Order: sequence, then C-alpha cells, then structure tokens
Amino acid sequence: MTQKTRPIQRFAQAVSKCTAEATVYGQCVVADYNSVHKNQCAKEFMALKNCYLAAAKGGK
Amino acid sequence: MRLTPLSSAALRRPLSSLITPKTQHQRRAYAFQTSGIPTSFQVFNNRTKWLQRERAASNVEASRQADYLKDEVAMRVAERLLDVKRTFPLTLDFGAYTNSLARALTNPNPDPSQPDADIPPLATKIGKLVAADSSEKALYRDAELQFNKEINMERVVLPYEEGSLPWEDNTFDMVLSSLSMHWINDLPGALGQINRILKPDAPFIGAMLGGDTLFELRTSLQLAEQERRGGISVHVSPLADVKDIGGLLGKAGFKMLTVDVEDIVVEYPDTFALMEDLQAMGEGNAVLGREMGAIGRDVLLATEGIYRELHGSKDEDGTVRLPATFRVIHMIGWKEGGDQPQPLKRGSGEINLRDVLGTK
Repeated sequence: MTQKTRPIQRFAQAVSKCTAEATVYGQCVVADYNSVHKNQCAKEFMALKNCYLAAAKGGK
Repeated sequence: MRLTPLSSAALRRPLSSLITPKTQHQRRAYAFQTSGIPTSFQVFNNRTKWLQRERAASNVEASRQADYLKDEVAMRVAERLLDVKRTFPLTLDFGAYTNSLARALTNPNPDPSQPDADIPPLATKIGKLVAADSSEKALYRDAELQFNKEINMERVVLPYEEGSLPWEDNTFDMVLSSLSMHWINDLPGALGQINRILKPDAPFIGAMLGGDTLFELRTSLQLAEQERRGGISVHVSPLADVKDIGGLLGKAGFKMLTVDVEDIVVEYPDTFALMEDLQAMGEGNAVLGREMGAIGRDVLLATEGIYRELHGSKDEDGTVRLPATFRVIHMIGWKEGGDQPQPLKRGSGEINLRDVLGTK
C-alpha cells in the first residue's frame, strides 16, 4: 500500500474539527444513559454529522 | 436456631428404618468441568485472531509503535523473577507474540526500585527460553535485533487451533505468559496443559487482561449503538474476572497461588487513536458471532462524542484526553511437588490471631 494517510486517519482528522458538536451530542446521550433509545439525540447527531461532512469536504 | 423435634411417628419407628440401606447409597460428585477437556463454549474465533496478529505484525513499524502496553506488562512480569532465588535451565514463554518478555529479560537494569544496584539481567538466570506463539510473523519480527544475542532463545510456531501443547510432561523449569491468554477459549484446559509440562515444584508466572479492561470503550460503543441503531452488538471481548482466576489455577492443579491486579491507564487524544493502536497490537475484535465488517461511520462518530463526554478529562489548556483502562491480572502458581511448603492441618494453629493483631 502506498497511500499516505489511511481512511481512518482522514476520518479522525475531520471529526477533530467538530469537538463542539461532539460535546453537545455526547451530553445529550449521557444525560440519561440508563434509558437510551434509538434516535433520542437525532437532532444533535445530525448537527455533528453535518459538521463532519463539511470538514471532510474541506480537508480534501 | 430453633430445633424441630422429631415427629412422634418417627420416634415410634425402629431406628434402623431411619437409616438408608447401604445398597441405595451412591456417592455423588459435584458437577464441574474436567480440565483438559475442551469446553462447549467457544467465544473467540482462533483463526480470525491469528490472522489479525499476523497482519498486525507484518506492518513492522506500526506494530513496534504499539508495543508499549505489552512491553510494560512484560517488564512487570519479569520483575517478579527477582523474588525467585533459582535458575531456570529451560523456560517457556507461552504466547510470546513479538517477544516483549525476552526483551524485558535482557533489560540491563531489572529492578527499577534499585537503579544503582548491580543486578545482572534476568536472562542470566535462564538457560534457554522457548518462545512459542501461533503468529510466525510476530515471533520473527524482531529476530535481527540486539536482544536476541543476549538470551539463548528458540522460537516455536504453534498451530492457532487450541489443543494439546507439543511438549512432554515435566519438561520446563518455568512457564511465563504475558498478555496473550485472554484470547484462549478453553482457559482451564490451557492452564492444565501448562501444569502438565511444568516440572514438579516449578512456577508458572503469567499476566492476562481481564475484568474491566477497556470498559470506557465498551460503554461508549454500547451507548452509541443504542442511540444510533437501537441495539448493541459485541465489540469488546468478554474477559475473565479476577475472582475466577484463583479457582481456575487451583483447578488446574497449581499450589501456593498468588493473584493480584493492576490497572494500567493509557491516555489517547481520540477514540480513533485508541482503536488504531488496538488493531496494531493485534488486539482487534475476534469474538464469534460479532457483526462482520467495520463499525459504521455513524456509530464511530457517535462513540467519539460519548467517550469524550463520559470518560474524557480536560487539561488546563482545554484539550480533552481519553483514558483507556487495561486491567492486568497477574498470577503465580506452583506445580505440586518437591519439598514445597504445605498448609498446616486445619485446627492445628496454636496462636490466636486476635492476640497477634491486638484486637479485642
């Protein structure tokens, strides 16, 4: 393999630009971690994902 | 306690009828798994684990960078040899992987508590070290390095399928094992095998991951999958608990057991660094029935957020560091034999513990 950065590293790099969104999402899940259900924090997650997608695009 | 009197009917009956006739009496044994017979539980996929280790060790540079945990634990296992006033003509390193133990044994300064003491490297106590592992790539990764010249070592590649160890009974003067036994399906059987190949009155000194190892990653992944996908799957291995190890060693026939626990906490900048390092160590998920393929990006993204929030610690300058706990169970057991100290008979004590401890 001759690729310089592995996909996981590119992924990690993009995510590292979204710490604020990640914190908001984390807080939402952890706030009531004994009864987490699907899409409980969908809104917060979409904000995180949008940030990551934007960062991944900019990074290329 | 209240005593219940026998019923009057029982009193009237002749005494002989109360005693069960001998012919009906059968000795009943407790139900337990005999060591050496494979358990019906298969938790790990041996072939997957072998492939992961071969692949990890093939990438020499990344693999060496991720040696820190195994090197640290190997050092601590080797340190325990300082307490044994013996020499070991023939020693086995069971699950040697990249020979962290051999490196630790050749350390020129074996006792960190006495940096100025002139103690020779522990390798001088060992006549010959047999390094055995299923991963050939890992075993030979560092075959060209300097430490190979400082210790008499033979490398043996074992099949990745668990089974009988290819040595005669009573072969080794000591068996060492550092951070590899947590991938064994049949741990009682493996310990029994180790006991078999040891000479009488010879020690087994081992360390394995157990208990709450990587609980931070386990909980974060579970929460992330629960929230993103509405269900969870296995990503972190089930591990042996500290309290089970004593029983397992005893059942395998070891005497004079010592079991202790040590938590090693490593800090990472993010969850990806942790997972990359685990992969480079060859410690990826190899649980049978795990979900095939990589963890989805959404779950990874969610895990990062949850791990930071649940377990992360903030520095003064605001950077978050993610701790990962590795719980290492250290164990020492001796094969029965020789003039080993034996426990005294029950009730033969002459000094009251209360007097010794000074309690009332």
